[in-house]
Amino acid sequence: MLRAEPLLKIQLMMLASEAQDAALSLARFGVFNPAACTLDTLAESPAAPYREAWLEAEARLSKLLEQCGDTGPLHLPEEAEAPALADLQELNSWLKGVWIACLSCHESEAQIEDARSHLDALEETLAKLERLNVDLAHLLRADSLLAVHIGSLPATGLQRVTEALAMTGYLVSRFDQVGEQVFAVIAGPRARHDEVQGLLAQAGWRELPVPDELRTHPQAARAWLEAERARMNAQSGAECRIMDGLREQFGPRLHEARLRLALARPLAEAALAGVRGKGGLAALSGWIPKRQLEALRGTLDAHFHGRYWLDLREPSAGEVAEVPSLVRYPGWLKPFIPLVKSYGVPRYGEFDPALPFAFTYLLLFGAMFGDVGHGAVILLLAAILVRRLGRMAWVGIAAGAVSMLFGVLYGSIFGYEGILSPLWLSPLHDPIRVLTLAVGFGVGFIVFTLLVNAYNKVVAGHVGEALFDSTGLAGLVFYLGAVGSVASLAGAMDLAQPAGILAGLGIVTIAAYKWFEAKAGLGERILVTAIETLETGINLFSNTLSFMRVAAFSLNHVALALAIFTLANGLDRAGHGLTLVLGNIVIIVLEGGIVAIQALRLMYYEGFSRFFSGDGTEFVPLRLSSQQARI
Amino acid sequence: MMSAYLNTRVSLFSGRLWRDEEFDALVSVPDEAMADALTRRGLPQLAAGYDSLSARQQDARSLEQRIIAQILDETRVMLRPLSGSARNFLSFWTARFEISNVKTLLRSKMSDERPAAALARLIPMGAFGRLDNQELAHAEDVGELLRRLEAGPYAGIVRHARRAFEQSHDPFSLDAALDRGYYEGLTARAQPLEETVGAPFRSLMANFIDRINLVWLLRYRFNYKLPPAQVYYLLIGSRYSLSGKQLQQLAAQESLEAVLAALPAAWQARLSGATDIPGVFARMEYAAAEQALRVLHSSAPAIARTFAYLILRERDLRAVRAVLRGRHLGLAAADIRQALQRVPEVV
Repeated sequence: MLRAEPLLKIQLMMLASEAQDAALSLARFGVFNPAACTLDTLAESPAAPYREAWLEAEARLSKLLEQCGDTGPLHLPEEAEAPALADLQELNSWLKGVWIACLSCHESEAQIEDARSHLDALEETLAKLERLNVDLAHLLRADSLLAVHIGSLPATGLQRVTEALAMTGYLVSRFDQVGEQVFAVIAGPRARHDEVQGLLAQAGWRELPVPDELRTHPQAARAWLEAERARMNAQSGAECRIMDGLREQFGPRLHEARLRLALARPLAEAALAGVRGKGGLAALSGWIPKRQLEALRGTLDAHFHGRYWLDLREPSAGEVAEVPSLVRYPGWLKPFIPLVKSYGVPRYGEFDPALPFAFTYLLLFGAMFGDVGHGAVILLLAAILVRRLGRMAWVGIAAGAVSMLFGVLYGSIFGYEGILSPLWLSPLHDPIRVLTLAVGFGVGFIVFTLLVNAYNKVVAGHVGEALFDSTGLAGLVFYLGAVGSVASLAGAMDLAQPAGILAGLGIVTIAAYKWFEAKAGLGERILVTAIETLETGINLFSNTLSFMRVAAFSLNHVALALAIFTLANGLDRAGHGLTLVLGNIVIIVLEGGIVAIQALRLMYYEGFSRFFSGDGTEFVPLRLSSQQARI
Repeated sequence: MMSAYLNTRVSLFSGRLWRDEEFDALVSVPDEAMADALTRRGLPQLAAGYDSLSARQQDARSLEQRIIAQILDETRVMLRPLSGSARNFLSFWTARFEISNVKTLLRSKMSDERPAAALARLIPMGAFGRLDNQELAHAEDVGELLRRLEAGPYAGIVRHARRAFEQSHDPFSLDAALDRGYYEGLTARAQPLEETVGAPFRSLMANFIDRINLVWLLRYRFNYKLPPAQVYYLLIGSRYSLSGKQLQQLAAQESLEAVLAALPAAWQARLSGATDIPGVFARMEYAAAEQALRVLHSSAPAIARTFAYLILRERDLRAVRAVLRGRHLGLAAADIRQALQRVPEVV
């Protein structure tokens, strides 16, 4: 729980024809994290065509399923095998055929929809066309010297088209606009008609199908429009029937395709990391927990009866940064993990901060927001919203409970300080003690982070940094000495001389280390050493003072409540009650939110940043379900 | 504050620009020293392509991808302190590469290419990417792809291109509509900056758009033999040196020489000696680079200097690409140097 599980790097070699089943077994095994294969002798990528076919088939299937609505849970039989490449390619071809059939219906539907809106626009413009004081029959004659077009084009292109057509002696007369479409009459010398054809196509010009009736009997055009609409509806109905037929015809087989693609997913996903091979051999590489080795052998033996070769090794020192981190957390700790991971993932071998984070976060929240009433409201709200918030609700429940506990210790309930007598201390009446305790907690917290950092550095093989750097043991020695000196000066203890020596020893060690580490000229080296050593002292000092905010917020909580009581006491009975209710809501929402963020800030910047680089890689096992797949 | 930061950043970056003799030197750098030479010249993305033997054999495609990755990296740094219309403009400036991805995807659908092959040819856009390339590459045909694109961030550009394509089913009309749509969008985004930043920025845009318009005009008119009206329609609506009226007159000319003779006097001087379209392009690019260099070394507002730097940097990287590709193809050093001629002979 405090550090990642020990992992082993495995190279599983098997017949290339069985690679898909091996990947499926590893996905069912549940704790295999694929990684790049480093065997130079295996130069081929046998799974690349498999992945390509799978991606194509999956894309087609998901589009088809969008049409068919078959998106329910999928039950994969235990003994089902993954499709071979040839099967997958065949399935892909079949899906292509089905999707093309669907697509043509889909395209026809889109075209019909387009035509319908065009007809609507035409109807709107008909009235205007009827009022045009021209003899359309004469104008639209194919044998006249004047070529006339009636149609539409995007409004944004009208000016450009007008200018361009003017170059060929054509005129554009706009007579209507519907949405982004402009309806216009274009007329010009028929002799130059060929010159404008390409331009009109390029401009997205769409000719209006002016019915013959409109040319001679405008009033009859509406009947023509109705007939056109009926024809569209009939066409649309026909397309719908084809789609329904396709759904009926292909529905069961599509479900089977879904099943087979789910079985093929593991090899396609593993191919992303890189499955290598040569001739008839393929190799899958990745990480497994050391303790699962025998279970893995058992799984492979059961499926492949010895037709495999398993090569394994411990992670080397040089590849620690690439090894994924697998940490198993107890259920009660899991709600806090997203808060830790929002900062970063611990590197393999590093101290995992989740457990101290959970305890310290709750402690800080409770100390800054200690109130039985407000804590109870937070707890109840989180419990009510448990379905909506999921696991995060448990963070709210725990924070509410700790807030209630501190409320009992402080003797505070909805801001009232006189109802409960404090079991421990009242921040309002003993602020100096609260401040001292907060700084004392900060000192303990920083000592803890320096120790953890030293441990992480040793694990990473940076023993020098662990011993002599400002965030290692030398920094710890300096810090303890400095704290002892300040405490002695304040009269809290009588260790001024030994503490001073300790602090001096620590800072000199740090300065010496910085001097040796700085690879620069003399001047720059002096500057770097001086500044970085000074920075060490300033940082530790300011980080410690940062914890005073814990005391400040616990005092702030009482002060806010007092302000609300003062306001309420100046009002009548109804106003008094309303002010108390609204005031408490403000405290819970506003101050509760601020305290939650401040506690997180203290954890991230005074804690994590000292020992936790957060640049580790998460252990993502090969799985059958798509939710955790990395494709 | 942000402007001071950007000015400093641009000044620092401008130290990465190449002098002509440095290209010369690059031609003769040994393979094993190439990664180091490129890193020293501030091209880590390109250097990464030379740090192993297999990488040295990189093809033209990956070279192109690395060059654009380098440009995007630098643009990202300069975009950080920007906001409002300046940020909007610079972000859209990078969208050129994504429009080029759109064209690659469309071509791949037209030639019925496999999605994996098309995806491998796309330019990785990193943080600038706004399209779901995986989904687009797996569209079944051009129609489906265009409809998917129309639901995305380039809907305005694509809608017009789709209409043009539906009318003609000509890949040229699709490409031309996409290009025109993009550059129209760029000039629209440049307009507020031209008003606030003034002459330095406007001069850069003018050089850029006028060059595109003139080269397109010559290409459409004399290579593709399109009628004048269509040529004029396909050009970018311009408010710069070459006005709409002038472009109409130029498009109506019957030969390249006639077009050059019909240009304003200052342009004729700039293009003297050009006998073909690449010659016109080279001379205009040289003039644009000269102007960009003046803006970069002036006290112009930060966004104008940034734009000037990006124009110059891209020009440099094109020359680096020429060197690296030439070496990759095993061309003689003299031939590569000939291709590197960045200053037109008569100028």
